[in-house]
Amino acid sequence: MLKRILPAAAALAALALPSAPGAEIPAALDPVDGKVIWVDFWASWCGPCRRSFPWMNQMLDRYGDQGLQIIGVNVDKDRGLADEFLAATPARFDLRFDPAGALAERFGVEAMPNSFLLDAEGNVIAEHYGFRYEDADEYEAAIVAALGAANRGR
Amino acid sequence: MRKGKGLLALLAVGALGAAAAGCSGLGVQPWDRDVLARDDMQLVSDPVEAALDEHIYFSKEASSGGQGFGGGGCGCN
Amino acid sequence: MQLKRKASTSIGASLAAATAGLLGQSPGRAIAQELAPWEYDTAILLYSESDNRVRDVSLNLDARKEVREEAFLNLKLAIDTLTGASPSGAAPANTVQTFTTPSGGSTFDIAAGEQVLDPSFLDTRTALAANYDFPLGRFTRFDLGLSLSDEYDYSHSGVNMKLDRDFDNRNTTFTFGLALANDSIDPVGGAPIGLAPMTATGGNKQGDQSKDVTDILLGVTQVLNRHSLVQFNVSLSESDGYQTDPYKILSVVDPVTGNPVIAPPLNGLPYLYRYENRPDTRDKQSIYGLYKRDIGGNVFDVSYRYMTDDWDVDSHTIDLHYRWNLESGSYLQPHLRFYSQTAAGFYHSVLFNGTPLPDFASADYRLSEFDGLTLGIKFGRETRRGEMSGRLEIYQQTGSASPGSQVGSLQSFDLNPGLEAIIAQFSYKFGG
Repeated sequence: MLKRILPAAAALAALALPSAPGAEIPAALDPVDGKVIWVDFWASWCGPCRRSFPWMNQMLDRYGDQGLQIIGVNVDKDRGLADEFLAATPARFDLRFDPAGALAERFGVEAMPNSFLLDAEGNVIAEHYGFRYEDADEYEAAIVAALGAANRGR
Repeated sequence: MRKGKGLLALLAVGALGAAAAGCSGLGVQPWDRDVLARDDMQLVSDPVEAALDEHIYFSKEASSGGQGFGGGGCGCN
Repeated sequence: MQLKRKASTSIGASLAAATAGLLGQSPGRAIAQELAPWEYDTAILLYSESDNRVRDVSLNLDARKEVREEAFLNLKLAIDTLTGASPSGAAPANTVQTFTTPSGGSTFDIAAGEQVLDPSFLDTRTALAANYDFPLGRFTRFDLGLSLSDEYDYSHSGVNMKLDRDFDNRNTTFTFGLALANDSIDPVGGAPIGLAPMTATGGNKQGDQSKDVTDILLGVTQVLNRHSLVQFNVSLSESDGYQTDPYKILSVVDPVTGNPVIAPPLNGLPYLYRYENRPDTRDKQSIYGLYKRDIGGNVFDVSYRYMTDDWDVDSHTIDLHYRWNLESGSYLQPHLRFYSQTAAGFYHSVLFNGTPLPDFASADYRLSEFDGLTLGIKFGRETRRGEMSGRLEIYQQTGSASPGSQVGSLQSFDLNPGLEAIIAQFSYKFGG
């Protein structure tokens, strides 16, 4: 059921780009160096996204020093709307901007929000559709398990 | 079976068939739903107004419903 | 999924999360479940017909609350006060006419040449509805509801349900709906015996009545592209029981002169009128289609409904809106609605003396052949807490009398004069 639309290494390379080609931000790569990476596709018009941000901030607070990296990929076509959202619901995690949806398409996003838990090689360990408070413990457990595996070494 | 019922059944099947065919080409990617998410793009963008209109026309005409049910009944038609 | 602006709520949530992080709280439910707060939609509506006919003032309150994650409770309250006069179905004549009030307690006169309006039309209706809509798995939503209404001579109770199932990345949605209702009709003075003569003391009446209504809806919604979608519904409605309007009558006239016919002896009224009588079942079917499209930030929608029933009524409705979104969160929305219906098979503007009585007959203009036109404009503005809007519309009906009914003196009268009404509504949405 988990798609492999994007080969693992290519996923990491794509995420390293701060925004899709053609954006005004210079192409210097942002490091994708987490032991475990939570990639979350969000938009200003997505209701559950507003609920997921405080939770993602909390996850970063709890597990950032254990190697968790969170990358929120915004798919708004109007950057102003994304900025408005962020002003009201700040993110302490890394952000990427994908207005043309190229990254969303390559990851095979099927819902909004859609999150992917990746290991350090870029393999998709888990995929979650939507955000619900009721499932937050489950999401957290997946992160903890992935970090455990990563930190036990290879 | 009335002729009318048969016609409608046929139209219903036709419509659902068209919709199924629609699955193959029509639609939008999940990350492209910004416009469709707007309040003014919802099927019923103002439910209170829709209900008020439904009540008015149900009381003054012989037809009712269509988009939803024909309203909660009153002694007016 | 729509996003409502709730700036203060999210700042609160963010602060709560940040604080929890600083305090190094242990894993668990440290972030508060921020369920959507109460959202309210209030409206006051005035419907007013010209010529001192019906006037309705309606107060509406809708409240919505997320009670469990993604599950909403919707409550509605509507209070309507109806005043004014309504056509009774009797035809104008060249002479003064006398009618009995529904209670049978008194009579009233209508001047020669005047349309016959029943003046005793004061009523207050209260309606309540409650709906609970919640998800059943990722792609299905279920809505269960209850509706109640009460007025002096009519009460309604019903249950309804709706199931929505998404397919194809939510580009296609199938809908199934079912509504069951039981209505009690308790007319002032009692329900008249169908086609019996109206008497001065309000005789020829029997007791309370009831009817059961079943509605089924099957629909499909399809997203066409990023800017547009369509909806297509098929509806069936079956009503079983008392369909007649207990206050409506028909004039009995001479087939040559068109003049009212003298009432039978001991009737107490000068002329003969018969209470209407409708079949005790009604089956309706309709198909409905809606197309909605974003055009550069503005919204255009057009819908069409075709209805047909076993009373021989066929109708077409075309409804158009164009919402012009202005800067600063305001909008202007013109509205146009065309309506056209054929007459019910048993619609007769008058009954002819000497002709055998039909099983069913009604002179209620709402079952006649007519066209309706609505022209309206709505203006709305975002406020700090929600939205304020107002709309003004005019609704006009132009009708035809039943074929062959305008005989003799009736040629100088309009047996289906139609109506003109103003609709004015003010709404205020807040909360959320």
